Amino acid sequence: MEKIKYTVKIKRYNPEEDRSYWQDFEVEVEDSLTVLELLMHIKDKMDSTLTFRAFCRSAICGSCAMVINNRAGLACKIQAKDKIKRGVIKIEPLKTLKPVRDLVVDQEPAFDKLKKIKPYLEADPKIVPDNTKVESLVLPEEFARYDKQTDCILCMACYGQCNAIEGNPEYSGPFQLTKVFRFVMDTRDGMDIQERIKLAEDNGIWDCVQCQMCFAACPKGIASCEDILELRRVAKDTGEDNVATRRAKFWFETVFATGQIDKFNLPAVALNDEKGEEIRNNLAKEFTQRGISQEHFVPQPFENIKDFQKFIKKVEKEL
Amino acid sequence: MKKIGIYPGCCFQGADEHNYDIIVAFLDNMGLGNVLLDRAACCGGGVIDETNKKIVYGLNARNIALAEKEGVDLYTPCNTCYMIIAKTKLALDSDPELKDAVNKILADEGLEYKGEAKIYHTLNLIRDFVGLDEYKKRIKRQISGVKIAPYYGCHVLAPNEVAVDDPEDPTILREILEPLGVEIIEGYQNETTCCGYHAGFTSPGQKERLAIKPLEGAKEAGADIVATPCPLCHKAMDGYEEPILQVTQLINVACGMTPEETHIHINKTEVKLSL
Repeated sequence: MEKIKYTVKIKRYNPEEDRSYWQDFEVEVEDSLTVLELLMHIKDKMDSTLTFRAFCRSAICGSCAMVINNRAGLACKIQAKDKIKRGVIKIEPLKTLKPVRDLVVDQEPAFDKLKKIKPYLEADPKIVPDNTKVESLVLPEEFARYDKQTDCILCMACYGQCNAIEGNPEYSGPFQLTKVFRFVMDTRDGMDIQERIKLAEDNGIWDCVQCQMCFAACPKGIASCEDILELRRVAKDTGEDNVATRRAKFWFETVFATGQIDKFNLPAVALNDEKGEEIRNNLAKEFTQRGISQEHFVPQPFENIKDFQKFIKKVEKEL
Repeated sequence: MKKIGIYPGCCFQGADEHNYDIIVAFLDNMGLGNVLLDRAACCGGGVIDETNKKIVYGLNARNIALAEKEGVDLYTPCNTCYMIIAKTKLALDSDPELKDAVNKILADEGLEYKGEAKIYHTLNLIRDFVGLDEYKKRIKRQISGVKIAPYYGCHVLAPNEVAVDDPEDPTILREILEPLGVEIIEGYQNETTCCGYHAGFTSPGQKERLAIKPLEGAKEAGADIVATPCPLCHKAMDGYEEPILQVTQLINVACGMTPEETHIHINKTEVKLSL
């Protein structure tokens, strides 16, 4: 084992003074440390007041999520050596939750949002037996639909990196929406799907910006951003009619018809109101002013579009 | 002459038609020939998933296969197209069964996804396809006296598996902007906050609240202009107090074009460049 020298830049928070500040620690430590072990080293040898949350050290308990070099992750799962950038590792508390002290954040608002989406199975009496002697079977292919999502350890790394919360502090959050997805897909769940979707819609799926940061942060490789798209699909397929579901339908229809999305007519179709019409009229004016010919207002089908359409139909059926 | 395949996404269409001129001129300025992949289709835009996720794999396997048929790599300036196509490539290259299944269907159109074509975005195109040394040689004049705040946008840095640079410490945008003679302003407030483009329809208020944040951060840090490689970030963030341009527009100007020739005058928020 080799010893290496570097600077650990930690964003600390002192609640007595309600003050956040950066503090540098110069360390010379073994190159095999995880970020959590590095923090323990600093606490043991350099500053016993440094406060962080940790427990299992095995990426299971989900206590030690924090922001390391601008990316949220579990301190116990990340090798410190890999995170030294130009001689420095930067460590901060999760960004979308209030710090309690140093790297410890108040998780309660995120847990409150989790409770709101009813994160539990409401047994479907048609599927789940009413006694404990008979097993409630789930087929492997049924479980596969949400197997990955059950790996969530509620560490809040995704939540701490979420851009939608940056824009709307009331946003329900990535892991909360993944939880909705998990129960929507569970064959044993008896709650009405539309009720589940409603829970996901309140400051939820429509506010997601699809930035992919939740997926980048998750120590278990769960892509909440993709689960959110699936929830939007379910909302559409269970008959919901709103600007987003109209957009999704029109998007597919025009790509199928021409190969490209018709952005000229999209606002009018999706918004389905006077404002949408106004946007279309303004676009038409702008295009004319810029000398764009009318046939270029909307995409034209490319050559042999029928072959493309056959391809899409086959993909839907066979892939 | 080295050639690259231009992937036509929705950022070249209708009100955004000028983006096509911008990148064709950019490729020309880089000394690259191009082939327009004119039978390529929409990448899915993160919306076709709401119909059926499998279609997204199909569409992009086909898009890449079209480039491979032409014997070229695929280039898109759009962060989102890049991310979705690169994600599909990753899925196909790591799952032989999926690849075989897609190829069976592609065969009807005489296409095959081989996995040979690389996926380029403006940032890695300059670094890996053109080369930074060659890029610097092609800069003819300096855009001096202007402070530029680089803004990457999300989809060139996340997910990590398709990021074009180290997502924790990206430097590529600075390396591309510096040779233009501009002053770089980094580390500003909300530098990595999403532009909100993809919430434009589903939650317009959300888009508005997000789009302005990086602009305000850049302005506060003293930047005159924000520069993004992504046409969607540009579209989402143009029209506020702080102006934003595409990196390729600045490069075109530094390669000798007038601001009008590379459509800088179309910006909703006026931009003044001293040359």
